[in-house]
Amino acid sequence: MIVLTGLNHKTAPLAVREKIFAGCQEKKDLLPALRSIGGVEEVLHLSTCNRVEVIASVAEDGNALKELSGFLARNGGLNRTEAKGCFYEYRGEDAVRHIFRVASSLDSMVMGEAQILGQVKDAYREALEQYATGVILNRLMHCSFRAAKRVRSETGIAVNPVSVSHAAVELAKKIFGTLTGKKILIIGAGEMAELTGTQLIEKGAQSIIVVNRSLAQAELLAEKFHGEAASLDALDKKLIEADVVISSTGASDFIVTADMIKKNHHQRKNRLLFLIDIAVPRDIEPAASELENVYLYNIDDLQDIVDENINNRKKEAIKAEKIIDEEVTRYMNWQKELESVPTIISLRNKAGEIVHAEMEKASGWLDNLTKEDQEKIEILVNSIVNKVLHSPVTVLKEESSDISSRDIVAAVRRLFRLD
Amino acid sequence: MILANLQMISFKIALILCAVSTTGYLSSLLVKKVKLAKISTWILAAAFGFLTVKFLFVVIHSAWLFNPDSQDFLTFCAWAVCAVYLVLQFKTKTRVLGAFISPLILLFLIAAAGEEAGKSIRPQNLQSGLTTVHLFLTIFGEVLFVIASCAGLMFIMQNRLLKSKKLSGMSRLLPSLNDLDRINHMCLLWGFPILSVGIIAGVIFAELSWKTGWLTDPKIIWTFAAWMIYGFLLHQRLAIGWKGYRMALISGITFILLIVSYVGVKIYCPTLHNFI
Repeated sequence: MIVLTGLNHKTAPLAVREKIFAGCQEKKDLLPALRSIGGVEEVLHLSTCNRVEVIASVAEDGNALKELSGFLARNGGLNRTEAKGCFYEYRGEDAVRHIFRVASSLDSMVMGEAQILGQVKDAYREALEQYATGVILNRLMHCSFRAAKRVRSETGIAVNPVSVSHAAVELAKKIFGTLTGKKILIIGAGEMAELTGTQLIEKGAQSIIVVNRSLAQAELLAEKFHGEAASLDALDKKLIEADVVISSTGASDFIVTADMIKKNHHQRKNRLLFLIDIAVPRDIEPAASELENVYLYNIDDLQDIVDENINNRKKEAIKAEKIIDEEVTRYMNWQKELESVPTIISLRNKAGEIVHAEMEKASGWLDNLTKEDQEKIEILVNSIVNKVLHSPVTVLKEESSDISSRDIVAAVRRLFRLD
Repeated sequence: MILANLQMISFKIALILCAVSTTGYLSSLLVKKVKLAKISTWILAAAFGFLTVKFLFVVIHSAWLFNPDSQDFLTFCAWAVCAVYLVLQFKTKTRVLGAFISPLILLFLIAAAGEEAGKSIRPQNLQSGLTTVHLFLTIFGEVLFVIASCAGLMFIMQNRLLKSKKLSGMSRLLPSLNDLDRINHMCLLWGFPILSVGIIAGVIFAELSWKTGWLTDPKIIWTFAAWMIYGFLLHQRLAIGWKGYRMALISGITFILLIVSYVGVKIYCPTLHNFI
């Protein structure tokens, strides 16, 4: 049976998550230690900044789940009161659904984000390297990757940006097409401006100019981007060079006025200008938006776009859940068939089908024989098939009580192509 | 006879492919999927291939490129639009432009299908290499202007969406402002000299063979007006530095005005170019 325990951003405060995360990172033989817990046969451990989870295949539903979460808590140095209520526990189908949802980023803080699948894959690779997984978890993880892939390609869950800085980058692309060779002007040294600037540079923007009231601070930020620093007095001149302006000062008045832009327009040769005003109160005069080839977005405009995209993702998530359901059913069916009895049945059925098909093919010449001979041949064929199947079926029956039978069952299913 | 049949067959295949591709492009706007536009582009490229084959047959079949009176003229217009669009498409990757251009190609082909197919015989009064040059270049020049204007119209749409801060599906589908402006620019830059040479060839031919009376032909005045306006636009772009919205707006308006006046001229005025 598959069980899962862990905690995430919804169930545990940051302080708790930090401790557990650090505990897992520090412990070198984490996977062997988890595997040594009674009843645990296969185990996998996933830890990211938002979640720590342990997935295991256990012999029977004993205390393994409790022990696993207890181990995590102790390992993170949590006491009982701290750990209380932080851990969730899933069994069987619920555990499968949970890990599928995690891999598909439906359980993430930012739904549809792309990193989680990579992190799940890393966790799986680590477990593989340490021989901590087997038939059950291997199949489970591969199915979870497939579910995640389907969710990404069949729904629009990851299509539109859901952070202000990403929305700004997407807008810049809608205006300029490519950001290659574009100049970014950052006014003020806010964190948000820095983040947006970084992303624009990543997308190919050519250079960054930082303008600030204090030149020293401008230089500090400019150094990070290998850009150019200037004081606020030079703003007018720098506006001529810029293609994208990101403003986030604490000033109470407008720093960039519509007149300033209008005056520069000719010198800028009417190039397209994208203004991003993330300051409150605003830095850029709203009237600038009326100007030709000027596109002004303030923090509320960007937030509106983000909100709409989040709503869209929520709608897409409904579609995604359906995909998850399908994949869970598929996995559970596979697991059910891993029992020996259904495998014996399908093995016999397959042999029966082959016999039937071959007899049918041979009916051309068989019909020339007497009824008696025909019956004899049929008996002969069936007894050969039964003899051949005898030993695999016996082994399957003998081993059915043993948990290691799964490997044998899986092997038989693969050898005879029963899936 | 066989050649004529082959011509007809490749024309029909091209017409069907073009209709499919137009439907694909338009539905890509509706369902907001770029992939559909991508497939449509390939279908259109196939249609273009068949049109080219058709013209190869025409050239083998008859002594002249085409007879202005026949189906071939309109087919040639469609072929030219197709050629220019496909080149732009593979250069700029703005697939959705096809949704605006492919209906135009389809219209040309449908109109061509309505006309009678005939062997291209060069009319007596047009016997000159200059007329071929004139036809070829003026058609290409006008086609480039048409595409410049289509890009302009799309620019206006995208501009409005961005200004109203609606980053809806439509805005995502339309190409970026910069790309559209670049298409407008490239088309004007190429279209103007091509049309200029085309007009000059026509003028020389008319002066040599017809001597008088051609200058007041309404269609010639119309073409001349178009040439002047696009020349003005190109001047503003290169010398004054007009860009973006203003260029898009004026080329869009010009396009509509020219279409309207062209239809007017066609209905009310007798003209020497009575085949278009």
